[in-house]
Amino acid sequence: MKTSTGVKKHGTLFLIKKNYSAYLFLLPKLILFITFIAIPVVWAFILSFQEYKVFGSVWAGLDNYKAVFESEAFRKALYNTAIYTVVTVPFNVVSALVIASLIHSVSRTAQNFFRAAFYLPTVASMVIIAMVWRWMYNYEFGLFNYIIGWFGADPINWLGQTDSALWAIIIMQCMIPFGVGIILYLASMGSISESLYEAATIDGASSFQKWARITIPMLKPSTLYLVLLSTIGSFQVFTQIILMTGGGPGFATETIVHLIYKTGFRDFEFGLAAAQSVILFGIILIVSIFQFKVLQHDE
Amino acid sequence: MKGQFKLVYVLMLVMFAGILSACSDDAGSSNSGEEWTGKITIWDGPRWAEEGDDSGEDGEGNKYFWLEEKIKEFEESHEGVEIELVQVPWAEMPDKLGVSIAGKSWPDIAPVDISGSAVSIEHIEQGVIESVDEFFTDDEMNDFYENAREAYTFDGELYGIPNSITVHSMLLNLDLFEEAGVEPPENGEWTWNEFADAAEKLTFDRDGDGEIDVYGFSTYILPGYYEAWPFFYINGGQPLSDDLSEFTFDDPAAVEAIQQLADIKLEKEAAPVSMGGADVGGTFQAWASEEQRTVAMEPWATWAITSAQTAYPTNFMVANYPTGESGEPVTIGGVGGWTMFHQDNDAKKEVVAEFMKHISSAEEQYVMSKEYGIFPALKSAADKDPFADNPEMARAQEMSSQVVMLPRHPEWKKIDEVIQRELQLVFNGEKTAKDAMDAAKAGVQDLLE
Repeated sequence: MKTSTGVKKHGTLFLIKKNYSAYLFLLPKLILFITFIAIPVVWAFILSFQEYKVFGSVWAGLDNYKAVFESEAFRKALYNTAIYTVVTVPFNVVSALVIASLIHSVSRTAQNFFRAAFYLPTVASMVIIAMVWRWMYNYEFGLFNYIIGWFGADPINWLGQTDSALWAIIIMQCMIPFGVGIILYLASMGSISESLYEAATIDGASSFQKWARITIPMLKPSTLYLVLLSTIGSFQVFTQIILMTGGGPGFATETIVHLIYKTGFRDFEFGLAAAQSVILFGIILIVSIFQFKVLQHDE
Repeated sequence: MKGQFKLVYVLMLVMFAGILSACSDDAGSSNSGEEWTGKITIWDGPRWAEEGDDSGEDGEGNKYFWLEEKIKEFEESHEGVEIELVQVPWAEMPDKLGVSIAGKSWPDIAPVDISGSAVSIEHIEQGVIESVDEFFTDDEMNDFYENAREAYTFDGELYGIPNSITVHSMLLNLDLFEEAGVEPPENGEWTWNEFADAAEKLTFDRDGDGEIDVYGFSTYILPGYYEAWPFFYINGGQPLSDDLSEFTFDDPAAVEAIQQLADIKLEKEAAPVSMGGADVGGTFQAWASEEQRTVAMEPWATWAITSAQTAYPTNFMVANYPTGESGEPVTIGGVGGWTMFHQDNDAKKEVVAEFMKHISSAEEQYVMSKEYGIFPALKSAADKDPFADNPEMARAQEMSSQVVMLPRHPEWKKIDEVIQRELQLVFNGEKTAKDAMDAAKAGVQDLLE
């Protein structure tokens, strides 16, 4: 059989035999992927249609999904997560772009320093970061209330009031540099052809014009990737919540993953938790496809 | 190239061998007439280190030495029995156990009770937890304090061995009482008005800069924690009706009690703004840490007494929760112990039970009481008077008679969360106790039906 390009098309088995050494090297990773990712994901999907019991789960049809959609707690968690995502994703991506642009314009040595400095929070444990921020938000001796005190403002119970707790978590997330984004943008900026900037300079473009008309459009593939990455991460916000507020006060900082965690490991309702996870997966998938279409279309 | 492929094959064989060996079980063996031999797995959290032991990265010593010694003793007297101790931090115990139960890879023994924090009645119904009834004589059963035995009993059978009782009590910093010129309650007994009056007087500006340096009282509100709850019972209120069919924290007796505690902060300003928040560690540090000590009175479980005697040496006394309209002091207690997980082999089950009894004997409970700050669950251990030289613990032990247990409803963890989330809104001033408990009623009643 020949394709339109005239190259003989071989069967899958033939290709595996031909490249068996490559497949052998991939096999250990593939086994790990199947064991720890693929099987649990499929199992979670099956579990979402069951009422979990240790010795033999019971088929529950769509009951778990019905329970999730009727749950006030899930709606509240979804709302909080959406607010968190809508604010943090654009802020993180835009700030990464601005910081990367500023770093790109300095000397190589300075670039290396800032690259490392801004990437540091990415490798730091979120547990440590959350503990530090909890101290900074402390009502009596926290840094923020100390600072606003200089301007004569009354101290704020940042994590203790329903109207400020979620925003305190959002502010914290926005203040942590998006290290991956900065590194990726810097790498992408390095690959933009200098001739484009030279031509723009000859045409009399200002620095800002060059940034807006050349740099940003040329970085769109990176931006798309970072928006997707950041959105997925934001929908899965958990560590900050469990360490800083536990979802409270009231349900003011309850998020979807925190709710899934409680449903699974506090209430032992693994079927329901699996249904919540599948729904979260669906939401992230839809949002990601939407973002992909919009950003790709613009390109 | 051939050499490379051989290496890959060898690596793969090693990997598969590793996976297969990891999957092998430890059911052990037993022939008729012979004792079972094999491996028993026990999980435990850190307890206390030997005096003078400052080993380890944090210099706190080996806090598993007691159980390690008991394991060694048992292994020496039971040839062929190996006991593996898995060290699990207390905070991670419920989650890790939940995961291991879901994966049917539970330990043989774990230090949990059936109240629902790590395992629940549902696990008994599903056969995850083993009854240990058959291993106790009537005399041995009667040696347990009734509330301790009750905490591990379901449908008339004992599911685990209670080894400790804890209560919540009020801890008063006597240095701050003296500094404020306030007399501590005589014998640790007081009324609500006396308590509220003391809280106000203990709130003061030490250095005259116009800012409060010391507050009279503080506590926190978080699902699963009950330090503040005895205050809500003092007028006769309780969260659920006796038959567990009705939410009753919206009764005036409970609503008034909740509101008056919140008003210690909101009206009288005798508590820090953080009171009623979710910061457990911060709340304790405010009372105990030498660098802070900004709160004079806080309610804590029994472990805090030991902590205030050792890690955070404090001049303190133990007092009852104040009495309200009911006139009776109330506290909330808990019972700890060992639970046996599902066993396929009766002979092994017998050895596991024997080991559980070995580490829960009157002698061991006496040692734990002295060293670990708990009250024994066995009367014979209490008779040894472990707190003869520890008046604070002895005072707290007296409070065991005031204990009310939390409702044992299968959905209690969810009910608790609904109530505690609303309580957080009362203590941060966003809702009145009446509004919050009315809101809680709607959520709780659904769970009760």
